[in-house]
Amino acid sequence: MIRYARLYLHFLRFAFSKAMEFRADFFFRVVMDIIIYIVHFLFFSIIYLHTPILGGWSIDEMKIFIATFIFIDAFHMTFFANNTWWFPIYINRGDLDYYLTKPVSSFFFMAFKEFAANSLLNLILAIGLLSYMISNHPVALDLSKILVFILLIINGSFLFFMTYFIFLIPVFWTHSPRGFGDVFYSAEKIFQRPDGIFQGFAKKVFLYFLPFSMMASYPTRYLVSPTDNSLLLEILAASCFIYFVVYLLWKKGLRNYSSASS
Amino acid sequence: MGSVKSLYNRNYIKKHALDDFSLHIEAGEIIGLIGSNGAGKTTLTKILSGIIHPTSGHVSVMGFNPWDRKNEYRRNMSVIMGQKAQLWWDLPAMDGYLLLKEIYQIPAKEFYTSIDYLAEYLDVKDQLNIQVRRLSLGERMKVELIAALLHKPKVIFLDEPTIGLDLSAQKAVRSFIKEYRKENKPTIILTSHYMDDIEELCPRICILRSGRKVYDGGLKELHIQYADSKVITASLATESDFSQLINTFPSALGEITGADCQIKIQTPRDKTMEAARYLLNQTQITDFNIKEDEVGTIIEKILSREGHQ
Repeated sequence: MIRYARLYLHFLRFAFSKAMEFRADFFFRVVMDIIIYIVHFLFFSIIYLHTPILGGWSIDEMKIFIATFIFIDAFHMTFFANNTWWFPIYINRGDLDYYLTKPVSSFFFMAFKEFAANSLLNLILAIGLLSYMISNHPVALDLSKILVFILLIINGSFLFFMTYFIFLIPVFWTHSPRGFGDVFYSAEKIFQRPDGIFQGFAKKVFLYFLPFSMMASYPTRYLVSPTDNSLLLEILAASCFIYFVVYLLWKKGLRNYSSASS
Repeated sequence: MGSVKSLYNRNYIKKHALDDFSLHIEAGEIIGLIGSNGAGKTTLTKILSGIIHPTSGHVSVMGFNPWDRKNEYRRNMSVIMGQKAQLWWDLPAMDGYLLLKEIYQIPAKEFYTSIDYLAEYLDVKDQLNIQVRRLSLGERMKVELIAALLHKPKVIFLDEPTIGLDLSAQKAVRSFIKEYRKENKPTIILTSHYMDDIEELCPRICILRSGRKVYDGGLKELHIQYADSKVITASLATESDFSQLINTFPSALGEITGADCQIKIQTPRDKTMEAARYLLNQTQITDFNIKEDEVGTIIEKILSREGHQ
């Protein structure tokens, strides 16, 4: 574990060295993302002009939910997005070769090699926004629940990445430029919707099969509703399931890896 | 129309990248893999290094099944691909080395001693802190070599290490590999299209054609077994000697060509001495040489033989 942490420190150092060459990009990303965040809040504010409750949540609870999915998005952009972008290219170009010959987990390299230093300000901004929404919530929130909530949203970020990865791994077989990544991008907006708006079959799918509702919605529900530990169990079960599926697919994918001609 | 049809009706051709192939390499040996493009050399290297899985067969390297990808195996081998870089393009080579130090858990003292020795030998000490993308192709290959050797691998897969390099860089890389091998005694599996690499580095070669082995043995034996002729070159003293020899040289001793008092005789192997004697007795010679057929020519001959096994 310590060895991997030290390797990650190298990735961070590399990322910052590279980012210093493109300083303007830092500020461009911040401005762009602030606009996107404002659009998210406006979208739900307009809906709340017509109804006091949406998916069982008041506008104050919804604000925490919005800040939560903004955090997960920023977390993904900072830690994972560049890696998911490069992954199909590495596979199709045969660049995975080197990572397979090193005495470390090749998945670790594929998942964490590229840290987006230029997105870090956005993540800090998202943390600030979430902290503000939690501290200004009309009902005082229990500190122990806040701590569990922090763990849940970090898990939600990993869950988001892993679910995305499930759509990318088929590139081992299809050799397409993006795997089924575009399908994921069409579906991922669901994690920005409260789980309460889904009913029946769709609700079950987004909880247990493609666990978008487990990423931001369930952690928010855990935080703002009366304590319900069954939510934690559901999140744990869904997370274990997704992580196991990724593990199996990765193993299968590597077995099918054909590299590229020299 | 053809591409639309291929959506629902596709003809598949099954092609084995390697077939009916076996190879045993002793520890500390250096072997050259030779073959045309698509012969299976890189596939073999990738199977041996655990990058890809063979569909069938058995492989053991240092007692490991390569595609189990055990860390113990990967810690003791290295792959260098002339056409691919392992160092990070936008960063200095030294940063990449520090990452490798962590990956292979190389003690600091050993790490810096290796860097000093390797960089000194390859004459790239001043290039280690320059971004890799700013280095010349030759310098890039040298810093890549250092990256691959830092952990002192016991088995090294060298796939086209001199590809695209100018002559002096090729020479430097070759002499480094030679020297490194002498001091560290790793097993080296070298793939190259450059015959100079093979001749200078590999006492043993394995020639592949369409995924099958067509020759496995010493370079010297290759000449004995396959070179059916030798080449005599000579400079004659006078123009009259030259024209006389061109007109009277017995065709049974070989084929003579030449110009400006320089002659070249392609003579059957068993007639070489007779041809040389004839030449020395009949003319005045200022320079004289007998050479084996070039390795590249012999290999070309072997590869072009249909159905040879």
